[in-house]
Amino acid sequence: MIDTFPPFLIFFIGAAILPLIPQGNLRSAISLIFPVISAWLIWTMPEGLHLSMAFVGLDITLLRVDKLATIFGLIFSLAAFLSLLYAWHVRDTVQQVAALLYAGSAIGAVFAGDLITLFFFWEGTAIASVFLIWARGTEGAYHTGMRYLIMQIASGVILIAGAALYFRTTGNVEFTSMSDLFAAGDIGTILIFFAFGIKCAFPLLHNWLQDSYPAATITGTVILSSFTTKLAVYSLARGFPGTEILIYIGAVMTLFPIFYAVIENDLRRVLAYSLNNQLGFMVVGVGIGTELALNGTAAHAFAHILYKSLLFMSVGAVLFRTGTAKGSELGGLYKTMPLTMIFCVVGAASISAFPLFSGFISKSLILSAAAHDHYYVIWAILLFASAGVFHHSGIKIPYFVFFAHDSGLRPKEAPWNMLLAMGLTAFLCIAIGAYPAPLYSLLPYDVDYVPYTTTHVITQLQLLFFSALAFTVLMRTGIYPPELKSINLDTDWTYRKAGPSVIHWFSWVIGSFYTWLTKLMSKTTERTIKRLYRSHGPEGQMARSWPTGAMVLSIAVLLGATLFINFLV
Amino acid sequence: MAKTPKDDPANYPALGRWLMFLDKKKNVDRIVYGLYALCTALFLADFLYYKKVYLDLEKFPGFYALYGFFMCAALVVCAKLMRRYLMRSEDYYAPHDVEAEEYPEDGLDRESVND
Repeated sequence: MIDTFPPFLIFFIGAAILPLIPQGNLRSAISLIFPVISAWLIWTMPEGLHLSMAFVGLDITLLRVDKLATIFGLIFSLAAFLSLLYAWHVRDTVQQVAALLYAGSAIGAVFAGDLITLFFFWEGTAIASVFLIWARGTEGAYHTGMRYLIMQIASGVILIAGAALYFRTTGNVEFTSMSDLFAAGDIGTILIFFAFGIKCAFPLLHNWLQDSYPAATITGTVILSSFTTKLAVYSLARGFPGTEILIYIGAVMTLFPIFYAVIENDLRRVLAYSLNNQLGFMVVGVGIGTELALNGTAAHAFAHILYKSLLFMSVGAVLFRTGTAKGSELGGLYKTMPLTMIFCVVGAASISAFPLFSGFISKSLILSAAAHDHYYVIWAILLFASAGVFHHSGIKIPYFVFFAHDSGLRPKEAPWNMLLAMGLTAFLCIAIGAYPAPLYSLLPYDVDYVPYTTTHVITQLQLLFFSALAFTVLMRTGIYPPELKSINLDTDWTYRKAGPSVIHWFSWVIGSFYTWLTKLMSKTTERTIKRLYRSHGPEGQMARSWPTGAMVLSIAVLLGATLFINFLV
Repeated sequence: MAKTPKDDPANYPALGRWLMFLDKKKNVDRIVYGLYALCTALFLADFLYYKKVYLDLEKFPGFYALYGFFMCAALVVCAKLMRRYLMRSEDYYAPHDVEAEEYPEDGLDRESVND
């Protein structure tokens, strides 16, 4: 008897029945029911292990319910609901089904009690999500999707390889903290760590994110932004809490994307860079590994999913109405899309951690944990990254889209479903920021933290307003780099340009050598044949008929030589 | 300003029309002066309360303000320098990239307020 119904199955059932419903408002409305049921199931599920069974000799657990899994499960359900509402107008079965399968797989992975179940859902998220990129239907999107899929599947393959080695070492496949084994240099856990790292967009492994998210459809990017990377953060929090190297990896992650974000023109790619930066904060939290830090990671993931979706939604709405999301093409849209502008500013204020907005009450847990555990350099880096994220996500995005120079575009306000989805998300961003107690009660550990202190509010406002001052001064003095139609090289250059060039060069060298060798051989053969022909051909020396006397003479010489050798021996 | 001949603010949503005071340079200047005043006030606020912090560095008056200002300025200058080495044209990776492509029209609903 099933003691509890797995929430991922709701989404899979939804994906199966949705195509049977006629395309239209009814189908869009029904698609919203599944995340609601899922959230309700997660909310009511009793803690503990459920649906444990033996599978090819391994003990697997489909549902492991605890506070860490629950908070991620709930926010994934909420994100699925808001994204599907935002995508109400989409009349593409592939995208609708992919979104449900993707959300279901992510939720399945979060509740997976063992590495084998995790692997299946891990690959599920990869395969389902790529259709949101391919759905754009262009040649560029096809190629980008392939690159994305290769990275995601590679992550899964490494995960299952790691799981196999982990099984050899420990004799089980339970998905629990592997920090000690990792510290001891166990190869299986190192592989698992690496697999999580790809999906979490660790530095140098990150570029699939910035490459693929801006290539997806308008609604697809909103959906993509919520699940894959936060699933990886959850997996790290579950598998590697307190692993010190994560602190440094996370710090680098918060740092380098902000530089790219300042000069990037495609605003959905700017958001992808800032997503990477925000993941860095969560990874630092996992690395510190104290209760305060892990609470910070979970809270920040929760808040982040909402404000990042909101930002992608607002830029997506602009793209939907104007056909472009590039800073160089936009500007002055506040006149005709004022509501979208306000929602975008709410998202921007939340990611920048303004008091009364969600980022303020979640990011500070991680910064406090860093300072509390004496990671002062890391704390300074995170503070810089906080100011930096305000600079590019908080100011740059709203400023270049809705203000700056007038682009002359006069698009209509976003459609009702987009406005409603953005409005709800914006409301949640403010509600969490202004009244964090309900979110804090969902966190894995008890919270003994007060975000609203005089010091915290004033220092944060100083940091943000002086960052804004820097932006204003740089803008007015003309130092701020203008938005230009361009791209910037990142690590993907290595496998998109450098790698193929090296292969081309090698094939050229080997090809040239082969051509030279075959030419040499054919020339030598030709020359030999010619020489033989000259000596042995019909006109050759050796082909002449010799007189009998010459024959007798040569035999006489031969006999003489034999006699002489005999005499000597 | 690249206005189309039939561009008419009467077609804008009421909220957008109300916000059009932002079009005037005088008002933008006012906002900027407001920001200067706010920053000054926040800087001075540091002397008015007991700062409960972890590090001695944080106790330095206006530490957060100065850190935010100078680090952001440095961020922009560094990023601008990066452009020299990293910037390429939009079609650098074409046709294997979406950057040089138009977003497919069937996924859009371009509507102007002036239509």
